[in-house]
Amino acid sequence: MSQLSVQSVVKRFGDLVVLDKFDLDVAKGEFIALLGPSGCGKSTLLRIIAGLERPNGGDLHIAGRSVTGLAPEHRNIALMFQSYALLPHMTVIENVRFPLRMRGGGDRETQRAKALEALALVKLDHLADRFPRQLSGGQQQRVALARSIVAEPDLLLLDEPLSNLDARLREDMQVELKRLHESLGLTTIFVTHDQSEALGLADRVILMNRGRIEQAGSPEDIYSRPRTVFAADFLGGANIIELDVQGSGETWHGTFADGTQVPLAHASDLTAGKRKFMLRKEAVVFSPDETMATVEGSIETQNYLGGQTRSLIKVGDIEIIALTDSDRTETGRHATRIGWRPEELIPLQDA
Amino acid sequence: MSTGTMRLSREPALLLSPGLLFLLLAFFFPAIQLLAQSFLTVGAEAGRFTLEHYAKVVVDDFYAGVALRTFRLALIITALCLLIGFPLAVVMSRAGPTLRTILIVLIILPLMTSVVIRTFGWLVILGPGGVLSWTLQQLGLIERSMSLMHTETGVVLAMVQVLLPFLVLTTLGSIGQIPASLEEASRTMGAGFFGSIYHVTLPLSVPGLASGSLLVFALSISSFITPSLVGGVRLQVMAGSIYQQMTGSFDWGFGAALSVILLVITLMLIVPYMVITSRVGGRT
Repeated sequence: MSQLSVQSVVKRFGDLVVLDKFDLDVAKGEFIALLGPSGCGKSTLLRIIAGLERPNGGDLHIAGRSVTGLAPEHRNIALMFQSYALLPHMTVIENVRFPLRMRGGGDRETQRAKALEALALVKLDHLADRFPRQLSGGQQQRVALARSIVAEPDLLLLDEPLSNLDARLREDMQVELKRLHESLGLTTIFVTHDQSEALGLADRVILMNRGRIEQAGSPEDIYSRPRTVFAADFLGGANIIELDVQGSGETWHGTFADGTQVPLAHASDLTAGKRKFMLRKEAVVFSPDETMATVEGSIETQNYLGGQTRSLIKVGDIEIIALTDSDRTETGRHATRIGWRPEELIPLQDA
Repeated sequence: MSTGTMRLSREPALLLSPGLLFLLLAFFFPAIQLLAQSFLTVGAEAGRFTLEHYAKVVVDDFYAGVALRTFRLALIITALCLLIGFPLAVVMSRAGPTLRTILIVLIILPLMTSVVIRTFGWLVILGPGGVLSWTLQQLGLIERSMSLMHTETGVVLAMVQVLLPFLVLTTLGSIGQIPASLEEASRTMGAGFFGSIYHVTLPLSVPGLASGSLLVFALSISSFITPSLVGGVRLQVMAGSIYQQMTGSFDWGFGAALSVILLVITLMLIVPYMVITSRVGGRT
């Protein structure tokens, strides 16, 4: 039995279709990322699941119970807002106790003990009697997190949980979220526009585009085998190269606009004709060996990023971006030879 | 922040001076004169220090009654404005822009009407054989024609109508500053519609409710046109008595004493109220 089942949910704002017959099933204990650019419908979907937004059509089931027409307070969910939405007139402990108070479990002392326990999980029990405004942004986020888990919800929903934190706190929080998920086993759905968050946290990434699922799968799967230009581009950015594909059986090759030919792998996915391919920036190497597909190009510009260097290489009319270890990078503008393993050219399904 | 803070250097002082001068001449000067007058004798041996004006207020049951009525009415009016105004402000804050504008206009409308016209309106409704009396009679709730004119109920009704916008608008301002996510968050945490209003909106509206109810209280305690027109001579309030002493009996010393008493009691109520509410509101 799935913990959340979204069945052909439709949401329109006026003429704008935000969610177009959206389906999603989430198993108990899963950690799901709804990933997509702004306006793809991910936040709306989260709000519909929480009950803050009414869908125009479709059905919702949480823990086997239909909740389609239920008000948020009658769904046993927790939503952590992007702005944290801590109640400013209550202390930290009262904020965390609030869901227990509203859902009416146990007396005041039991509730406070549970709230303290939740605060201890995020290591903030020593600040229980402060007011939210006396805390730093990172601490406020932890309070919001404690408040979300305290009532043991059927579903934990997180709206852009890391977007308001600076880079270092963001890493800490990623670790924290993963740890909490592993120890509590709460079915968790979080919304993000940041691919590294999605890949780093989730068991399953749902990549959304224009109110539909563009691609769904494990982080490894969705990163290494994107099916569309959109997916390839959104996850990490990649070189999109159009090649003229020829061949048969197990031997295929692609031809660049300037006539350069490269061998292709993934034979079973190939047909003759023009086709777009994805080449990850980090798959490109300088001084390729003979097992690799190679092309002649010239280095146009380079950005030194520390451990890695980003190089813009012109191959004929097209530009290929390479992200290589700095100690294995040729520097300076000059003609060069770059390459990649044939299976790194991933055929995409776009027309 | 150095450019943003307003120190009282020459330029701001210059900008403030017209207002300050006006306040000095039109408010502080007469107020001090009034204060002096309340302690000075009149008549043959005019100008000597005396407490006789104050003694008269204390000794005469009539004026103690007037003072009591004044504060009782002001408290009831303020309480009613809070009771009606807060839910109204909540609805207005959630309404769409068109509905909100309509509601704001509706609520300010009484303020834009002349006090005479408004009071005659109430006469038509509350008076003997008026709309209210007729309706209640037709419904069989009362047997004989009734009138709320010259009653405290009538005064309260008429005053609440005029003072409600002060409370609603200040409260609306406060509610407008509450992020929508707070109420939504409370809903997802299990608070119902009313629970969310009680636990989130109400406590966070305290600053607006406080300043609004202060305004209402101050205005109703010092008002005398509506009370004297709707309440009549029998139901005197302090402002009306002062007016009568000053312009009817020409007993300026006594009128001044009444004024000072009104001011002192008002301050005694308002100052602690401000301290308490700012403490509650300051947490937000």
